[in-house]
Amino acid sequence: MDLLANLGLGFAVALTPWNLLFAFIGAMIGTLIGVLPGIGPIATIAMLLPLTFHLEPTAGLIMLAGIFYGAQYGGSTSAILINLPGETSSVVTTLDGHQMAVQGRAGAALAVAALASFFAGCVATALIATFAPPLARLGQSFGSPEYFSLMLLGLIAAVVLAHGSVIKAVAMIVLGLLLGLIGTDGNTGGQRFTFGLNELADGLDVATLAIGLFGISEIIANLANREAHRDVVTKRITRLWPTPDDFRRAWPAVLRGTSLGAVLGVLPGGGATLSAFAAYALEKRVSDRPAMFGRGAVEGVAAPEAANNAGAQSSFIPMLTLGIPGNPVMALMIGALMIHGIQPGPQIMTDRPQMFWGMVASMWIGNLMLVIINLPLIGFWVQLLKVPYRFLYLAILMFCAIGVYSVNNSTAAVLIAALFGVAGFVFQRLACEPAPLILGFVLGPLMEENLRRALRVSGGDPTIFLTRPISLGLLIAAAILLLIVALPAIRSTREQAFQE
Amino acid sequence: MTDRSGVLVPRPWRRLLHRDVLAGLMFILVAGLGLWVSRDYPVGTALRMGTGYMPRLLCWLLLGLGAVIALRGLRDPHGVGDGPIQGTAWRPAILVATALVVFGLALERLGLIVAILLLIGLGALAGRNLRPAETVVAAAVLVALAWAVFIAGLGLTIPVWPEW
Repeated sequence: MDLLANLGLGFAVALTPWNLLFAFIGAMIGTLIGVLPGIGPIATIAMLLPLTFHLEPTAGLIMLAGIFYGAQYGGSTSAILINLPGETSSVVTTLDGHQMAVQGRAGAALAVAALASFFAGCVATALIATFAPPLARLGQSFGSPEYFSLMLLGLIAAVVLAHGSVIKAVAMIVLGLLLGLIGTDGNTGGQRFTFGLNELADGLDVATLAIGLFGISEIIANLANREAHRDVVTKRITRLWPTPDDFRRAWPAVLRGTSLGAVLGVLPGGGATLSAFAAYALEKRVSDRPAMFGRGAVEGVAAPEAANNAGAQSSFIPMLTLGIPGNPVMALMIGALMIHGIQPGPQIMTDRPQMFWGMVASMWIGNLMLVIINLPLIGFWVQLLKVPYRFLYLAILMFCAIGVYSVNNSTAAVLIAALFGVAGFVFQRLACEPAPLILGFVLGPLMEENLRRALRVSGGDPTIFLTRPISLGLLIAAAILLLIVALPAIRSTREQAFQE
Repeated sequence: MTDRSGVLVPRPWRRLLHRDVLAGLMFILVAGLGLWVSRDYPVGTALRMGTGYMPRLLCWLLLGLGAVIALRGLRDPHGVGDGPIQGTAWRPAILVATALVVFGLALERLGLIVAILLLIGLGALAGRNLRPAETVVAAAVLVALAWAVFIAGLGLTIPVWPEW
């Protein structure tokens, strides 16, 4: 069977010592930044992106992927032990996880979180292996009009699923599209928004932008707020193994969380955070003891932790098969591919099977490593939580600074990152989400290219987007999504969902 | 702009401090700047798009969105929605950005070590509760770490010492 042969190839690639090492490094870094509040996977991946240039692309991608799903594991540790989410995707885990810890069941909560994540990781890996090839085949039949419509749908879906105000998210996308225009216009050779600066002729770099918007601005925001008091549960974690009753209650929750996360992760704008929130809300609704939620219900840990890991991994599907990023991390992954001169899109699977399947196989291996990294080594991570932020931010600042310089050995990049650091802080104060901006930035140039090509094919007739069935279907889907957001009834449930 | 019969609008300009109003104004400002910069870009037609077609289209779009956001903020009766903006601590923003700028300008001339020391020195001012002795220790550790990771480990071609 094809699938087995492909996975065999993948494991052969992933199990080479070199790739194993990078899967391990990725998982370790991911856990590290996951545990530490104040630095997230987006900033970390952006910082390390330039370094992958020195690696073979497969090893680099394996490492970056490990950081992303490793952060989902690590995030739960600080959520449970210090009631402070290490990542936004583990915000809901604080509700019940920390309660469990207060009741002296920290060990059980950590174990449930790790095992739930592992189960979800296995399922998500299997899903990628199963569904990626047919999707890529579908993608290969797409022409420019289809791609344009698909990207439009992706951007609109990203808005619908984003937090907060819809219209602000749209404006942020447009801002991202505009930033994506900076540089030399590939079709006419004209300079756009370069202000006559040579440094801008090639456009902004996605890593620079992401380090500024997510790394630097996060530092500023953390310093602007008072240092949160960290209440580490210092009781020795004696019992790591959950009780039989925990297992009985957790496993259906894990199944539901995994399925929900896997579906939401594929959608643009989805991914880990949304999945975790949705899974918690669902669990509360189907539970036979909703009153227990917020008081240490094991389901409230199991479901969101399964969901965030499933969501993190399944969000690779559209990126790997269609070249469409659903969230900022995937946008950076596309950046990583482009650093190596690899054009993202459906041809990756056929042109570079080693890379594709090696990465899929490494995800499973990485998840296995993470269970080991997280459970027996938990004492080490707890110690790490005692490092105060006033030391941490200096290290983060330094890695951001050197990372951004090394993108292309450019002083200008450091200055641009500083500018976007301040801009990101302003956005945060004005409640404008930066994630849609990054998506717009990455998709903008691709959309423009496909739009131009499609219009050239049709001789300038815009109805080409409506006469090709797949394109029409995608546009209708986009229109339905917009309509849904506009309807007040659904808008209120959406707000409710984000409130919970 | 709207006539509010209540007494809740003592100083009209306070409404401008609403998050949405400020956000809208920010988008309008950026769009306006974009339109001004791209004023001479050839626009072309849909079939043969010029350099300026997309930029101007998107700027107008952003301008419209910004206006709607700002108006909705103004109409927001009690600042519910996202609420009015609170006083903001600008000190860390300015110091962190300055630290980065200084680092960037220093790196190629003064080398990695001096640049990091400057970065840490200015960065430490941005936080409030870092003691001088702690800063010195942190700087020493971070310089060693940066050298180990980036120079010894990854072999980046960054000058380490000042170039005379």
